[in-house]
Amino acid sequence: MAFNRIDRTARQTVLTVQDYWLFAGRALLNLFRPPVYWNDFLLQSDIIGVGSMTIVLLSGFFTGCVLALQSAATLAAFGATAVTGQFVSLSMIKELGPVLTGIMVSGRNASSMASELGSMVVTEQVDAMRALGVDPLRKLVTPRVFASIAMLFFLTIVSDACGILGGAAVTVYLNHQNGTQYFHMAYERLRYPDIVQGLVKPLIFGYILSSVGCFYGMRTIGGTQGVGRSTISAVVSASVLIIFVDFLITHVLLTLFGR
Amino acid sequence: MNAPSILVAPKPLSDSTPVVELRRVSIAFDGPPVLEDISFTVAPGETRILLGPAGVGKSVLLKLINGLLLPDRGQVLLFGEDITTLKENELFPLRARTGMVFQEGALFDSLTVRDNVAYQLIQNSTIPDEEIDRRVRQALSFVGLEQTFPLYPDSLSGGMRRRVAIARALINNPELILYDSPTGGLDPVTSATIIELVMKERDVHRTPSLLVTHRLQDAFTLCTHRFDAARNSMVDLPQGKTDPGTTFLMLEEGRLIFDGSLHDLLHTNNQFVREFLE
Repeated sequence: MAFNRIDRTARQTVLTVQDYWLFAGRALLNLFRPPVYWNDFLLQSDIIGVGSMTIVLLSGFFTGCVLALQSAATLAAFGATAVTGQFVSLSMIKELGPVLTGIMVSGRNASSMASELGSMVVTEQVDAMRALGVDPLRKLVTPRVFASIAMLFFLTIVSDACGILGGAAVTVYLNHQNGTQYFHMAYERLRYPDIVQGLVKPLIFGYILSSVGCFYGMRTIGGTQGVGRSTISAVVSASVLIIFVDFLITHVLLTLFGR
Repeated sequence: MNAPSILVAPKPLSDSTPVVELRRVSIAFDGPPVLEDISFTVAPGETRILLGPAGVGKSVLLKLINGLLLPDRGQVLLFGEDITTLKENELFPLRARTGMVFQEGALFDSLTVRDNVAYQLIQNSTIPDEEIDRRVRQALSFVGLEQTFPLYPDSLSGGMRRRVAIARALINNPELILYDSPTGGLDPVTSATIIELVMKERDVHRTPSLLVTHRLQDAFTLCTHRFDAARNSMVDLPQGKTDPGTTFLMLEEGRLIFDGSLHDLLHTNNQFVREFLE
């Protein structure tokens, strides 16, 4: 009996992963085949990009503040507080900016996608759309996926900038160090591979958070309770997947660029 | 209700190819079959009323006909094409020729009534806005709800939502209409209004349809009345007469147990049918 249950669960997991890849792949390929719903893309870009701006600004700024505080305390032991700027900028651009932005946007938008699409599924609106001759994957999923990819790219840049500014604020006003030196170090040690690393990640994270959010939304069953379950699953899966994929990308890019 | 507005000319009935044909269709969802070995046809101009208690697979059957679900076994022919072999994107043109009214209306709650009714026209064509508005008003006038044009579905009653759903199903002049319990959960007066609309579509445009219901009263009303366009209301057929194009199907535990006219239904020996009628 226990073996049967394990067997069934394993099979379901494999099927779910397979369904997800097919779903995410089709959502991506739809952009290159008409019809493409550009109006929906713009609408979603506004919801995801402009709508997430506040949380990204705040989380980026305070992450930079904390980084500057912590690093200055540690670096002081080696008499190297001068490199705080380098530490903050590299940490923000290569790692924390993309990952934190991905997780924050995922908490806001993957959940909203799952609950919105889930509600449409349980009230038969998605079936109605299909019955009216419109492909829900093209109309609902593809615009969300591409809007997330495009917007996360720019949001990450905003987050990086806010983080560096937050670090500068702490360095100047709390640690009483020189601001020019902070910015000089932040810029001086930055190399193109670091920027590439920081800007490739949001493209992939945007794809993950939107495709996972939409996938769970479109698979919703069980009425309003089901919508709640889908929302939770979407946020949890997207966040964990973002961190896991971050590890993989970092490993690959470090091997590729050597820094 | 407002004056009748004819959306299209009546369709000819000469073509004898069934609009819908199911051949030994079965489907199951992780358990015993929901539908098993179902076969029947819907001829041009014919209205078929699918009866059966709740949970017997009536809505599933409608979704199979429209390709929203695929059967495990058997064939579903829609306008002569076997849709079980078609891909999802190949089904869209066939679905665009079919109107479907969902159980709860399934209106898009973030869109106005105008955009709901015009959905198919907006998404699938490049018709100018003025023409879209004209056709939406015409469709809303057909269901007597012209005044709801700028409203959102939330501000409509249950019956009004069903009528908007009917207008949405009719706007593209469908060659087949599938009604999924259009009167379910409505009061008798509103139900009568909806049934009158179904009858109007049947008698004015002669669109073939399949109507799912568990309300016998609605089914019998459709059979024993006709729509009088001059009076813009339904009228009784002469005593003992029934609409010849309106026939019945009945499901019991996933199996089709009856297929015939009202007369056959009332005189059948099938125990389940008799109990259902009583």
